[in-house]
Amino acid sequence: MQPLANVTQLKPAARAGAIEVKNVGQVFKTRSQDVVALEDVSLEVKPGRFVVLVGPSGCGKSTLLMMMAGLRQQTAGTITISGAPILQPDPDRVGVVFQEASLFPWLTAEDNVEFPLALRGVPKAERRAKAQDALKLVGLDGFGRRHPHELSGGMKQRVSIARGLVQDPPVLLMDEPFAALDEQTRMTMGDELLRIWAATGKTVVFVTHSLTEAVYLADEVIVMSARPGRIVDHLQVQLPRPRTYEMLSGDAFGSLRDRIWRHIRKSA
Amino acid sequence: MQGSLAVNLARIAIILAVLALWEVLSRTGIVNPRLLPSASDTFATLGDLLQRAAVQKDLMVTATEVLTAFALAVPFGALIGFLVAENRYFADVAKPLLFFAFSIPKSIFLPMFILVFGVGFAQKVGFGFFSTIFIVIMSTTTAVESVKVEHLTVARSYGATRMQTAFRVYLPSMLPVLLEALRISMIFNLTGVILAEMYASRDGIGHQIATWGENFQMKQLLAGVVMVAAIAMTFNELVRWVETRCSHWRT
Repeated sequence: MQPLANVTQLKPAARAGAIEVKNVGQVFKTRSQDVVALEDVSLEVKPGRFVVLVGPSGCGKSTLLMMMAGLRQQTAGTITISGAPILQPDPDRVGVVFQEASLFPWLTAEDNVEFPLALRGVPKAERRAKAQDALKLVGLDGFGRRHPHELSGGMKQRVSIARGLVQDPPVLLMDEPFAALDEQTRMTMGDELLRIWAATGKTVVFVTHSLTEAVYLADEVIVMSARPGRIVDHLQVQLPRPRTYEMLSGDAFGSLRDRIWRHIRKSA
Repeated sequence: MQGSLAVNLARIAIILAVLALWEVLSRTGIVNPRLLPSASDTFATLGDLLQRAAVQKDLMVTATEVLTAFALAVPFGALIGFLVAENRYFADVAKPLLFFAFSIPKSIFLPMFILVFGVGFAQKVGFGFFSTIFIVIMSTTTAVESVKVEHLTVARSYGATRMQTAFRVYLPSMLPVLLEALRISMIFNLTGVILAEMYASRDGIGHQIATWGENFQMKQLLAGVVMVAAIAMTFNELVRWVETRCSHWRT
């Protein structure tokens, strides 16, 4: 099942999928004081890379992701995706996968996946075909007619991923998508995500609390500190792909995770 | 109505038992039959009354009043409720006031409605409207609050317009609560209109029931009670049926 991947490659823009964050800051004004949530954050993500943002609670990693999605405006700096600034949500350039409760419970799985297409008035037949392809890609062939309450937690997140991919954007932003899942499901979903990523060639930015998940999934891990949120480290994960469960107990894996943990312990 | 066959049979058994007890108490004279005519007599009278043109006209009058008051109170109340829920400041200011207003028994205002509107259609519709609108406002506020922020964020991230958000996120999220509100509003509405008819009116089934009561026509009075109860229950079950069909996803 490769049609989504092919469409991406046909796109003419050479910079499609590149993300550039330059000197971005975010200040929340409250009644008593100004809270600096993010300070002078700069990073660059090359097309097709899998980048994970980690950091203690309150480091602004989700805020940064929401700004990349155009759902929130930074108070300083610029964010460009595929070479153009992001000023508001742009589903052509960015697909977002949220935490667990984001599916519409009154729609079936396929209607949920079709939702972004329905908003733009794509004809029913085309919508259905694209939703079927996306569901097949995430391994949910034949589950389209079910409602979210008839699906397991892992299956729901597969539907969310399919919804994020259905418009074939070059970038997929994922906000702690597996946080609510149990450990085994979480591992399986990690492998599934890597398979989907390899099949589609998307640029992925993934926010998580789990250091193991971060190292296991990423090409690069960006470590942030809390209040004000800053980038304190940017690691390249050189482990070969495909990643396997055995790597988790290897020295290379352990030293990367330790390095991240030391940063986080310092700032928490 | 959910429930297994056994549960349904038990329900029917209870209804039959109540009717049987009613029949026996009256027939044996344990309760004075002039105060409590038997069930069979009451239902015979009911059939008789439903044939009469005067009663049919009264039912039509009441139905018209009820539906008019309902058709005015529901959209108007829903609009106010929506505005209250959507505007943070307005909600902070208005919500406790609405709760105060809701706690006052509406019936004490009935004499004022008669003074303002006179006895007739406007007074009864007005009082029905007044009895209903607070519950509609409060239920709509609850319905709006049942819309999940996550769902609104999803819609926004996929570029939904305001109208799309309203019809594709707000409306389906709110529908189950709104239908329940509709059902409960009708109970308040029916109570308001019938009370207004019983208090001061020239027509309507409420007026008839009051008159039968004053004239000590117990058979007619009980038949009237059964009539109104049946109408109210039918409407209630109808909306409940729609409710279960629309909110199957709510678990």
